[in-house]
Amino acid sequence: MLFLIELVESVRSFIATGGNVLYFVAVALLLMWILMIERYWFLASNYPTMRDDIIKRWDARADTTSWYAHRIRDTWISEATELLERNMLTIKTLVAMCPLIGLLGTVTGMISVFETMAQQGTGNPRLMAAGISMATIPTMAGMVAALSGVFFSTRLDAKVKLAKAKLVDSLPHH
Amino acid sequence: MKKVINFVLLAASLSAGFATTASANELDKLLEQVKADRISEAKLDKKREAEFLAARADKQALLNKAKKDLADQNARNDRLTKEYAANEITLAQKEVELDNAQGTLGEMFGVSRAAAASAYGSISTSIVSAQYPGRGESLNRIANSKEIPALEDLEELWFSLQTEMTESGKVAQFSTEVTNLDGSKSTENVTRIGTFNIVSDNGFLNYNDEVGQVQPLAKQPAGYISGTAADFFSVSSGFAPVYVDPSRGAILALETRKKTLEEFYHQGGTVGYAITVLLILGFLIALERFIVLGAVTSKMKTQQKNLAQPNENNPLGRLLKVYQENKGVDAETLELKLDEAILRETPSVDRGINLIKMFAAIAPLMGLLGTVIGMILTFQTITLFGTGDPKIMAGNISLALVTTALGLIAALPLILIHSVVAGKSKAVLHKLDEQSAGLIAAIAEKESK
Repeated sequence: MLFLIELVESVRSFIATGGNVLYFVAVALLLMWILMIERYWFLASNYPTMRDDIIKRWDARADTTSWYAHRIRDTWISEATELLERNMLTIKTLVAMCPLIGLLGTVTGMISVFETMAQQGTGNPRLMAAGISMATIPTMAGMVAALSGVFFSTRLDAKVKLAKAKLVDSLPHH
Repeated sequence: MKKVINFVLLAASLSAGFATTASANELDKLLEQVKADRISEAKLDKKREAEFLAARADKQALLNKAKKDLADQNARNDRLTKEYAANEITLAQKEVELDNAQGTLGEMFGVSRAAAASAYGSISTSIVSAQYPGRGESLNRIANSKEIPALEDLEELWFSLQTEMTESGKVAQFSTEVTNLDGSKSTENVTRIGTFNIVSDNGFLNYNDEVGQVQPLAKQPAGYISGTAADFFSVSSGFAPVYVDPSRGAILALETRKKTLEEFYHQGGTVGYAITVLLILGFLIALERFIVLGAVTSKMKTQQKNLAQPNENNPLGRLLKVYQENKGVDAETLELKLDEAILRETPSVDRGINLIKMFAAIAPLMGLLGTVIGMILTFQTITLFGTGDPKIMAGNISLALVTTALGLIAALPLILIHSVVAGKSKAVLHKLDEQSAGLIAAIAEKESK
């Protein structure tokens, strides 16, 4: 319990020095990871049964060479692809947004630095330091969030492409 | 010529001898009178001499008197000098006696004076003085008096310190005169939180110790802070959370100088407003797309369940219609017809989506424009006023940064919303482009069996 309280306290102090923009980074990161975990879950548990079902249906068909059969095969592949690629665009967008949110934090931090300068002058660097930490910490947080997403989202993309290619190969015209 | 002069001289001598004989009687009279006058003047002189002599005697008497007075005063002076010297000695004796009588108490009086001086500093500026005015004066008197403090003074000091101590631990409600920002005065109920803050239902108040007035802050801090003050004021029992300024007003004073978000927004100027227009336009387009695409998707879903009766109100229904009208033709012609129909449907589905993307790209650029304008203003300021005052420069720089921030703030949601809307339209297009042919093929197969 004490460990948790310490953890919460360290997060709180981190956000206090980094400014409110960190909340946006946190929301983007959370959303990104929820979507990515959902994708992994789909690829690991739901997709194989779906794939097997499609292959079984295709194998059961008598006619697999006519124009109609081609269209039906395309449709099934398209439906499977749609499910496979759902939310991938959003995940990529979120990955791209994280550094932008960090940049927003930089700008708001610099605004607060100059605001302090406008009010108090440059006499006390300690007063400005608060704004500077508000400028740099969100940038760092945005970068870290984006990096954590870039690796896994790329892997996920490759997985989806591979799954799609395998499905296409599993539906031969015989 | 000579004759004329002789005649004149003769005439003159004749006339002079004539006049002498005429005034002989008057000269006698004059002589008589001079004689008489001489006698009377001698008399007068005598008299004046007598007067002077008499006066001389008087002056002598006066001089004698003055001399006597001087001697008297000198004598008095001597006497008083002696008396003074004697008194000095007595005074010294008495002071020694006093010191002896005071004993160690003398130190205590010094301490009490110092205590009063230090208490005066903190008590006169304390907000408790708003509730109990006039405490500072007596303390000031004790601190500055040269005499030994009287018992009442000591009691006053003790009482003031005790009041401050007790009241600093209390949350008290009292009625006081509040000097409003427009100079008018009104009597209001206020709540004092220890020695930290005074709050009323309008938020935080400030105690100005220089004029001894309770004044509202020039600007209340952010709503969530001042709101707790008003809430706290209205609570009658139990506990309520409230923001307290532990620096006794200094932080609140800084807070009043802070800009609100709204003020920051308006610093962005025209560029800022243009970015806002972009954001709103983007949102409106996205909203329209959401509604239209949502309706299309749901209609297509119902159509998919009922493939036999194509409905003209959705793209999929229109494709099915094309198939039903061209049932007899061969597969290749049918495909061409379907492709044509799909091409007709595409623009209405992905309309406006690229516009959102464009807005998302333009917003940060406009922010950059605002930054550049702000920097130009900054350098103009430098040209006019030099770099001496960082405050003047910093004002424009913060103005420049605000537009950058606004550009990013507008771009972020637009990017996100674009990805969502694009995903939706892509799904619809997929259905039309890749899956409709399959559906039609399935129907055709079923019908041919």
